[in-house]
Amino acid sequence: MKKTLWAVSICAGLLLAASAPAWAHHAFQAEFDQRKPVKLEGKVTDMEWINPHAWIHIDVKNPDGTVTNWMVECGSPNIMLRRGFTKRSLEVGSDIVVQGYQAKNGTMRANGSSVTFSDGKKLFVGGSNPDDPNGGKQ
Amino acid sequence: MSRFLALALIAIPLAAQTAKPAAAKSAKGYTAPKTAWGDPDLQGQWPATANIPMQRPANLGERSTLTPEELKQRQSQAAQAAEGDGEEFASSETAVSINPPGYWVERGKPHAQASLVVDPPNGRIPPLTPEGQAYAKSLRNGLGPGSHFPEKVDTYEDFDFYSRCITRGLVSSMLPTLYNFGNEIVQAPGVVVIRNEMIHETRVIPLDGRPHVGKALKTYIGDSRGHWEGDTLVVETTNLNNKTGTGGGFFSDAAVLTEKFRRIAKDELSYDLTVNDPKTWTKPFTIHMPYKEDPNYKIYEYACHEGNYMMIDSLTGARALEKEGVQVKVDNNNFVRKAGEAPKK
Repeated sequence: MKKTLWAVSICAGLLLAASAPAWAHHAFQAEFDQRKPVKLEGKVTDMEWINPHAWIHIDVKNPDGTVTNWMVECGSPNIMLRRGFTKRSLEVGSDIVVQGYQAKNGTMRANGSSVTFSDGKKLFVGGSNPDDPNGGKQ
Repeated sequence: MSRFLALALIAIPLAAQTAKPAAAKSAKGYTAPKTAWGDPDLQGQWPATANIPMQRPANLGERSTLTPEELKQRQSQAAQAAEGDGEEFASSETAVSINPPGYWVERGKPHAQASLVVDPPNGRIPPLTPEGQAYAKSLRNGLGPGSHFPEKVDTYEDFDFYSRCITRGLVSSMLPTLYNFGNEIVQAPGVVVIRNEMIHETRVIPLDGRPHVGKALKTYIGDSRGHWEGDTLVVETTNLNNKTGTGGGFFSDAAVLTEKFRRIAKDELSYDLTVNDPKTWTKPFTIHMPYKEDPNYKIYEYACHEGNYMMIDSLTGARALEKEGVQVKVDNNNFVRKAGEAPKK
């Protein structure tokens, strides 16, 4: 049984190599609730460049017209900087779309599994890519 | 499952000739530079960018180097991953995983070295002694060590020291991980300083022959003393506490770690680390890491505890879920199960 599971994981790994999810330095499964997927569209109010992961704050308009401020957990500031993302890359007031999962404790926090501008452009890609085996600074 | 293990499993090795692990040799005609005060100069930025699995896949046997085909395969997987990371637009069709996106990690460069462990010749960390096994099992009242994916979230101690932003331990601190590969060496007369970006370790290593601190003092990174053997910096570390280790084992009071650093070319640093802890492992083992200098690499402060909201969110989240009658198990495959329900196989 165990062997079969391994085999499945390996095949999945091969198929998803291009988009395979990564681990963070801590387990997101501990913090966020897989039963509570969220899609948040809102305006950036702040970005905290803190360790181990940065947090984006956004104002999200609710169906009843009220506004809720959500915090979205992002990658490590270090790698974001290395990927060419700077303090100026995300202005306050920018419209972004976040897909992730809400915190298990019910607070207005979510993980940013997918964070894009409203046109679908990814926030943290572009600039130098240090992982590019064919180029980059390494 | 670690990324490196995943990589090791994905690699499909082909039959090839056996190669013995080669001792690091200096490039022909290369003379290592000296500092102004006459010590070999190891200073620089040495990020651990070579992507090498910790242990060798069993089917490679005693072969320490990949065949060109195997390396090519790893390179093509890496190129594919980098391509995915670099996509400018997110697909609106793709289901979003709870795991972070691929571009959150640095993937390193595939390397022909089959495993970081080079001795024993099978590239595997030797088995734990019965004492080493018993100690690991005794932690957390018999549940074993805290984990990245703990089976319960009742206390901060259910998580490992890395998740808790404390340390990765001396062995891991020198080796590749998910991101923050930086290692910096700075020297001054009588002292070598090694700084690791992940997660914010700095070792100040005296070279003046002073003895180790008293046996009663134990720390996460231990007590390091260095000396020169020709162009090689030899660092001996003792006084490690029993909270860190590697490969499932934890250092005992008998642990002695010996590191050898040698600049073998202008931009290459050979690094060997031998773990000798007869109380924990059945025999000593040696790790070899080839560092490549990157003068442009910048180490950023990784003050990991600064905003590690994970801990409070996880503990308060687990309590909230308990109120709903859901028992928390942090597992990448079986995320939650109802109270009293057995884990899915």
